[in-house]
Amino acid sequence: MDATALENEARTAIDAAGSADALEELRVRFLGRKSELKLALRDVRDRETGMALNAARKAIEEALEEREAALAAAVPEDQEPFDVTLPGEPIRRGSLHLLTQLRRRVEDVFLGMGYEVYDGREVETVWHNYDALNQPEAHPSRDPRDTFYFDEQTLLRTHTSPSQIRAMMAQEPPVYLISPGRTYRRDALDATHTPVFHQIEGLAVDRGITLADLRGTIELFVGAIFGPREVRMRTSFFPFTEPSVEFDIICYLCEGAGCPVCKHSGWIEMGGAGVVDPNVFEAVGYDPEEWSGFAFGLGLDRIAFLRHGLPDLRLFWENDLRMTRQF
Amino acid sequence: MKVPVSWLREYVPFDWPLDRLAAKLVFTSCEVDRIVTRGVPDLDGNLGRFLVGRVVEAGKHPNADRLQLCRVDVGEGEPRQIVCGAWNFGAGATVAVALPGALLPGAEQPLGEAKLRGELSRGMILSERELELGADHSGIMVLADGIDPGTPLADVLPLSETVLEIETGFNRPDLASVYGIAREVAALTGAELAPPPGTDPAPEGDDAVDVRVEDVEGCPRYLGRIFRGVTSGPSPAWLKARLLAAGMRPISNVVDVTNYVMLALGSPLHAFDLSLLDEGRIVVRRATAGEKLVTLDGTERELAPTDLVIADARRPVAIAGVMGGADTEVREETTDLLLEAASFEALTVLRNSRRLRLRSEASTRFEKGVDPHGVEQAATYASELLVALAGARLTGHTDVRGELPERPVVRLRPELADRLSGMTFPAEEQRETLRGLGFDVEGDRVTVPTWRAADVTRPVDLVEEVVRFRLEEVPATLPERAAASVQLTREQRLRRRVEDMLAGAGYSEAYTWSLVPPGEGRLALEEPYTTEMAALRTDLELGLVDSAERNRNAGVEEIALFEIGRVYLPAGDELPEEPLHVAGITEGGFFRAKGAVEALHDALGVPVGPVERVRGRAARTRYGRIAELPGGWGFFEVDLEALFADVPDAVAYEDVISFPPLKQDLAFSVDESVSAGDLIAAARAAAGPELRDLRVFDVYRGEQVGEGKKSIALAAAFQSPERTLSDEDAARLRELIVAALAERFGAELRA
Repeated sequence: MDATALENEARTAIDAAGSADALEELRVRFLGRKSELKLALRDVRDRETGMALNAARKAIEEALEEREAALAAAVPEDQEPFDVTLPGEPIRRGSLHLLTQLRRRVEDVFLGMGYEVYDGREVETVWHNYDALNQPEAHPSRDPRDTFYFDEQTLLRTHTSPSQIRAMMAQEPPVYLISPGRTYRRDALDATHTPVFHQIEGLAVDRGITLADLRGTIELFVGAIFGPREVRMRTSFFPFTEPSVEFDIICYLCEGAGCPVCKHSGWIEMGGAGVVDPNVFEAVGYDPEEWSGFAFGLGLDRIAFLRHGLPDLRLFWENDLRMTRQF
Repeated sequence: MKVPVSWLREYVPFDWPLDRLAAKLVFTSCEVDRIVTRGVPDLDGNLGRFLVGRVVEAGKHPNADRLQLCRVDVGEGEPRQIVCGAWNFGAGATVAVALPGALLPGAEQPLGEAKLRGELSRGMILSERELELGADHSGIMVLADGIDPGTPLADVLPLSETVLEIETGFNRPDLASVYGIAREVAALTGAELAPPPGTDPAPEGDDAVDVRVEDVEGCPRYLGRIFRGVTSGPSPAWLKARLLAAGMRPISNVVDVTNYVMLALGSPLHAFDLSLLDEGRIVVRRATAGEKLVTLDGTERELAPTDLVIADARRPVAIAGVMGGADTEVREETTDLLLEAASFEALTVLRNSRRLRLRSEASTRFEKGVDPHGVEQAATYASELLVALAGARLTGHTDVRGELPERPVVRLRPELADRLSGMTFPAEEQRETLRGLGFDVEGDRVTVPTWRAADVTRPVDLVEEVVRFRLEEVPATLPERAAASVQLTREQRLRRRVEDMLAGAGYSEAYTWSLVPPGEGRLALEEPYTTEMAALRTDLELGLVDSAERNRNAGVEEIALFEIGRVYLPAGDELPEEPLHVAGITEGGFFRAKGAVEALHDALGVPVGPVERVRGRAARTRYGRIAELPGGWGFFEVDLEALFADVPDAVAYEDVISFPPLKQDLAFSVDESVSAGDLIAAARAAAGPELRDLRVFDVYRGEQVGEGKKSIALAAAFQSPERTLSDEDAARLRELIVAALAERFGAELRA
């Protein structure tokens, strides 16, 4: 027999033994009266073999003793000092901007409803930003006191609505899209206004689209972001929709009872919307007798600002890590 | 606009509770910001503590020179002793009195009985300002004689008022008046609408009114009236109270009448002192270059040839639709008036007011459009009031008009309301709603009232009129649409991957302004927002440095920020290009930033490619740049549009598992001028694809390598996808590398 192989086998088994009982079993197996080793020793014919087998026996005996001592000395696992409340090894974590987080959520909600995400452009023509959207020449928002112009024909878009025009001119109906992005107005820079802000435009054009579809879509969206809650539509005016509405949700802080967040009205303004005006369809070459649609615009900053209880919109632009790291 | 409810009820005696009306208006017509009560609080019998009093005795207070000690009969039999600080009255005057316990406007505590300099005062004689009935506080209010003492003051003065604060949409200039709101309220509540206020007084003269309109386009209608024998003075209390409640300051009877009528009917008016108009003439024309006018606010304004002005025979006397001139304004000694009731074209007024940066109650109305047909009623009502309140005689009238817009006739398409709303509106209901709003409806032929002529011109506009009345009832449905497969575009997906990768690597996302100071290659705004925000950014550096510094100054540790945003690159006559960039800023200098760039490329499966030094600690990469900025900031910026274009759609599997790599370290001593990148590129070229990986793990300078030299230690991994490489293979590859580097760079293999 191979004394070395036997010794190795025994050592492996002994090292793995976890208790005194298991060790006793191994003693019987490797050194007992009927063990392979004992039987082989009985049959030894030459001195060399005898020495080898005895060396193996001795080694196994020592291993058993050693292991026995080790087992006896071992402290039970739960008595070993080990403070699990010490901090973990730090991993520096960055975070996405609150507005990115919200933008993605809104995108995902609408992707789920089958809307594509359309990236418009920010420097726009007056035609795309105003004319094609049926904006009257005398509308006050065209005033350079409200709009950033580069020249008579070029401006920074004041809303995401020119995305509607670009998307419709690039494809045939049906169209289902949202278009998020930066928008610009010459507002004061204070706690509740910034000259750069973010909107998400929505547009659905198909056969038979109605104001009721707008309401259903908005309710689904609001439910996804804020949880199910009452939505109201009230009359408003936008040149590119007719009829035009503004939609509000029941204040999520006071549930309609009135609080400072909703300025004691019980409602929070979410955005403007309406049925696409036939003049807009004509500007992009869609037949208003065949197609109808709705459009809406959401103020992303405002929603995030209210949702997270921020005191000042400028926080979105200061990138103070003490604030950022909270989210 | 502020609508005093008592005024509104004068035109439409609605019986809905006010909050119900406000809630309905919000859905159908306009925003109602607030309902406020002003004046004397009308609660707990408070109004009963305000009485008319007659001063029985008045004399100097025995202990105070500035006070009067009065005895005032308030109908209680025994007159009350009241101490008063005003001297504009004496015994016999009829005055307004508040009794102890009365809560005055704006007061937190009720009035108490008080001893003033030793004399008991059992009430208070009131000024108009104390009652919020006027601005005058120079003395107390002296009422007309003949009112019995003890009469409730509320019977003779509008002590308390409820005001609806309304915001009207751009398309509803017709709502910018009390009567306009009344029309809407009548349609909503079914209450009967009174005819518009105003009855013409009989003319008492035959003065010619010299009005010449040279610019009919800018001024389609100019109605001028002459009044004589005007007595200027303060307006009566009711008128002042209404103006105040509506948010305007009372000035004098003539000016107040023009303002009152504007608020009532929506048509701005202006009164000139006729005697101050050269040749008594009115000319409506464009200004000529160099003309100047001092407006009512006392500012001298340079006029431009685009400005529409009202002139007399000689000079401009008003900026049409915006503001009158100071020279010809009505004053105390004015006896003869020229009243202007005109219609100015909206865009003309808008441009006038924009250019001069001057807005007024009049200009904001004209900008949105004033019904030229409504001008006459305004003139009529003003005439009635001028005669009644200023003793004026109407002596002349003219009405110069161009072609006034016809009332639009629109076809009612009853099916359109259903098709666009998703509700059912029976045709007859639609007609009823329209009639209620003042439309004339015969079958499907709808004639739009003059005050809605600008807004309602198409069948779809009628849909809005009908639908807005039942907006609360619109059901919630979803579009029925054919199945479609939609997903984010490739760029949008990759953008999210970059966002997540950088956030995971410890960078926090920043948003910085796209507007930056002007600079070369930057598209500049015509009018800067501020000097710091005057042009569009062409890279993301400024904003990020600013944010990083701000954090450092705030004592924040471990600063690392990134931004994904557009930059704006001028493209000649075309609109600028707006490529999406990503940039990051971090503590730890150039190589910390470079690490992020490498991880970013790795995450997208695109090699970083050559990195070339531009200057100092700044380098150019294939898609962007890396730099160390002042302050020790590591900075990078990458053009995502270019980078995304090279992202493989699907990475092909390479077998790096079947056969193990052989790893070896090589250190070369080279001149300082040799870059690690060049070494690696040359080694790769020499060894071919079996050199699977080669990277720098140490750079050493010191005595052992000698002056002007450095040692670059490289870890090489040799591997073949086809077989296990032998030690001989490794030796051969290593030899190729050593030989190539020795030849190209004089590199010596160390150890």
